[in-house]
Amino acid sequence: MAIGYYFAVSALLFSIGLTGVLLRRNAIVLFMCVELMLNAVNLTLAAAARMWGGPDGQVFVFFVIVVAAAEVVVGLALIVNLFFRRGTLDVDVPQLLRW
Amino acid sequence: MMLLAQAVEAGAGNTAEAVLFWVFAVLALGAALAVITMRNIVHGALMLVLNLLAIAGLYLTLESSFLSVIQVLVYAGAIMVLFLFVIMLLGVDNDDLLASGPTTRVLGVVGGALLAGALLFAFVGPYTSPASECGPGAPATTGDQVSCAGLAEAYGEEDASGVAFLGGRLFTRYTYGFELAALLLTVATIGAVILARRRDVAPEDEDMADVDGDLAEADEELAEVDASVADDEREG
Repeated sequence: MAIGYYFAVSALLFSIGLTGVLLRRNAIVLFMCVELMLNAVNLTLAAAARMWGGPDGQVFVFFVIVVAAAEVVVGLALIVNLFFRRGTLDVDVPQLLRW
Repeated sequence: MMLLAQAVEAGAGNTAEAVLFWVFAVLALGAALAVITMRNIVHGALMLVLNLLAIAGLYLTLESSFLSVIQVLVYAGAIMVLFLFVIMLLGVDNDDLLASGPTTRVLGVVGGALLAGALLFAFVGPYTSPASECGPGAPATTGDQVSCAGLAEAYGEEDASGVAFLGGRLFTRYTYGFELAALLLTVATIGAVILARRRDVAPEDEDMADVDGDLAEADEELAEVDASVADDEREG
């Protein structure tokens, strides 16, 4: 397989994730779309690591997975808090920071 | 048809990889589309699990079996269980919150398509030539085109999965990054515990906390409340 096909898949996955972020307003779905985008980038890094024959891309994928885990933990705690305070997961409703 | 024939001819040595790639790629893209279109969030989360598993399969075809295992364990296992747990804790599995108006929707799809086109144009084009074929039957570098190096050489003979190589790199060149990741995970755990603590206790409970947690008194009050509730029920 030419490595470009892997890049194509990850480019499409990233675009699908971005479209999801733009289209959906549910906070949990937004989070899942961000996960999609992170995974698309991970796939690019792994494919590039194979292309250039070094492990550095794989190490970066490893770190991205760690950061994603931390991000999901904190983000879901925030979402739970938001839901208990506001009673909704609609990201358009909380406007505390709007002036 | 010509393209297909060319592809078959070029990939005669790695037909298995091609088959696996197409299966997992279609699976990943279809599941990703399902994630952003499903109205039921639980179904969306399950589709995301499918997508992550398909990406783990793509890692396998990329000679990165360690990443594949990590993907299944951490992403499809731990992270998605957390997602499903929160969805079910909040009981919000079936609300539909798409973008506000049709204008926003159209703009969102157009933006996504534009990004897809730009990415495909910039990153995919240069790497679809036979020179960037990987695997056993890969041609050598020709002219200024970058050829695929593959990972077999870097891994060496006795380390077919690449775990030892990856671990060596992780603990030598990227030691600081590794330590920072450990710190980050600790901070995230503490932050999640603090954030997830419920602070909106009922007013009576706050008063009780002021008298330094007199539990016996609280129990008495609870018993009284229970008794009165039972009385109310009996009367009403």
